[in-house]
Amino acid sequence: MTPEGIPSEAAVAARGLVKRYGSHTAVDHVDFTVDQGECFGFLGPNGAGKTSTMKMIYGRSSVSEGVLRVLGLNPDTQLSELKRCVGVVPQENNLDPDLTVWENLYLYARYFELPPEAAEERCHFVLDFVSLADKSGARVDELSGGMKRRLVIGRSLINSPRVLVLDEPTTGLDPHARHLVWQQLAALRTQGVTLLLTTHYMEEAARLCDRLVVMDQGRILAEGRPDRLVEEQVGTQVVELPEAGQVNPGLDLPQGAQELIRRTHRVGSSLFLFTDDNRTLLGELARANPELVSRALARPSTLEDVFLTLAGRGLEE
Amino acid sequence: MRFLGYLKRWPHFDRGAVRVWDRNLMAWLKYYKTSVLMNFGEPLMNLLALGFGLGAYVTKLNDLPFAEFIAPGLLASTAMMGVVYDTAFSGHSMLDRGVYESMVTGPLRVESITAGMFLWEASRSVLYGCTFLVVILVMGLVRSPLALLIPVLMVLAGLLFTGPSLFVAAWAKAEDQLFYYFTLVITPMFMFSGIFFPVENLPAAARWAIWLSPLYHVTNLSRALVLGRLHPGLWGDVLWLMVATIVLMPWPVTQMRRRLTA
Repeated sequence: MTPEGIPSEAAVAARGLVKRYGSHTAVDHVDFTVDQGECFGFLGPNGAGKTSTMKMIYGRSSVSEGVLRVLGLNPDTQLSELKRCVGVVPQENNLDPDLTVWENLYLYARYFELPPEAAEERCHFVLDFVSLADKSGARVDELSGGMKRRLVIGRSLINSPRVLVLDEPTTGLDPHARHLVWQQLAALRTQGVTLLLTTHYMEEAARLCDRLVVMDQGRILAEGRPDRLVEEQVGTQVVELPEAGQVNPGLDLPQGAQELIRRTHRVGSSLFLFTDDNRTLLGELARANPELVSRALARPSTLEDVFLTLAGRGLEE
Repeated sequence: MRFLGYLKRWPHFDRGAVRVWDRNLMAWLKYYKTSVLMNFGEPLMNLLALGFGLGAYVTKLNDLPFAEFIAPGLLASTAMMGVVYDTAFSGHSMLDRGVYESMVTGPLRVESITAGMFLWEASRSVLYGCTFLVVILVMGLVRSPLALLIPVLMVLAGLLFTGPSLFVAAWAKAEDQLFYYFTLVITPMFMFSGIFFPVENLPAAARWAIWLSPLYHVTNLSRALVLGRLHPGLWGDVLWLMVATIVLMPWPVTQMRRRLTA
């Protein structure tokens, strides 16, 4: 442990981390610890402070307050060392549009001071990894959205980083391209690379992340393993009652149902009843009010529901 | 203390800066044909139309045929225009299109990127100045082997003009705003820097205003070297250019930092 209470073997750790832009606080005293080799997610809607947190981690913007360590390095004072072992996939692709795929990668390798031969070798390896070897001579603006994204991921690997920061790696990609990216990230994880990723797709978070934090308005609302988080925060299942604006869950639902309900949440006129046992709950409800249940939707609960109950609104809103 | 703060914003002429130079060369090699044509078409026409066309009707200026008088000045302005246009427009578009951003996302620092732009534009200045020198040599307008020192002068001029141009590139939010710089600063400088007429006999106020123009000092030195007319007053021009280059060099760093890191 360091004096700041940060475990020395942590890949990335923050204590009371704050980012301010003028009078706006984008990141508001967050704490998290990412272990080496894990995939750690930041789930939240736009404006939650995810990107600001990422930018501080890869040294693009300064820390306003608090402590941040990346592989034990302080981004304020050890930026060069930090940049050597961190790879970055920023939210915007920011490829060099004047250059080809190969030139983009090769120059990046040279930025990292790889000697020319080692740089070429690394470029070949990376191009194969992201399946762009046949596009080597193409200009960047000739690539599809998914290819550009893969190229940026390839570029982030050029310095063989131990920590990879991915800011919304699949936003705007079609399902096929998204799956390709997911496969590549999974492959990196098996190689022991620590992954930090932000997303507002709960499916992505649930699928890739060992642990995640749910963020909203600069704060961390909850933290844990995706499945546990759902289980702890809302229960594994949910019954959605549409057009239930008049129903007061505390008064209008039968006692047997109320005992099964762990949490309720209202969105517009819909009522969400969170539980660990959908079948029994539906049965209890049906006995008291068959009409209400006829429109009900029973499904497993998701991270979206966790976010909904914690932040009071949906991820995509 | 304020001075120390200013020095902290000094560009870093390190290996990162050389990498930026590499990148610019790589990109430039893709479009240099049009770029060279643009940069030489205009000054060459100026030289032909004014120097030989109008020159046929003009009596000698400072004992020189008109073409011989304006050629070294056009050399200076060609290099300046090349540097200023490229730094302002391509610098601005590199900011807009995320080229610099890709560099800071990687390991490069803003200070190195800025230094890389200085190195690159100094190289371009040498290229433009020397190419124009060859052109006027072929036309028989070069009088002295001292013209071999033109590359040194071009390095200095390139470094000088890059500072304010890169500042403007990073300051302008929209490309349109760059035209303020050209209309209010660059064009007047081109017209009133002793390229087309001698300034020695102008009223004192005009002479002082012209003395403030960096291009005037570059023109003085260029003319002295091309024609082999040295005199001690030239040291004043050298000093002026060196001081201005040093003072203006940190200027774009803060503005670039504002655009690239927050």
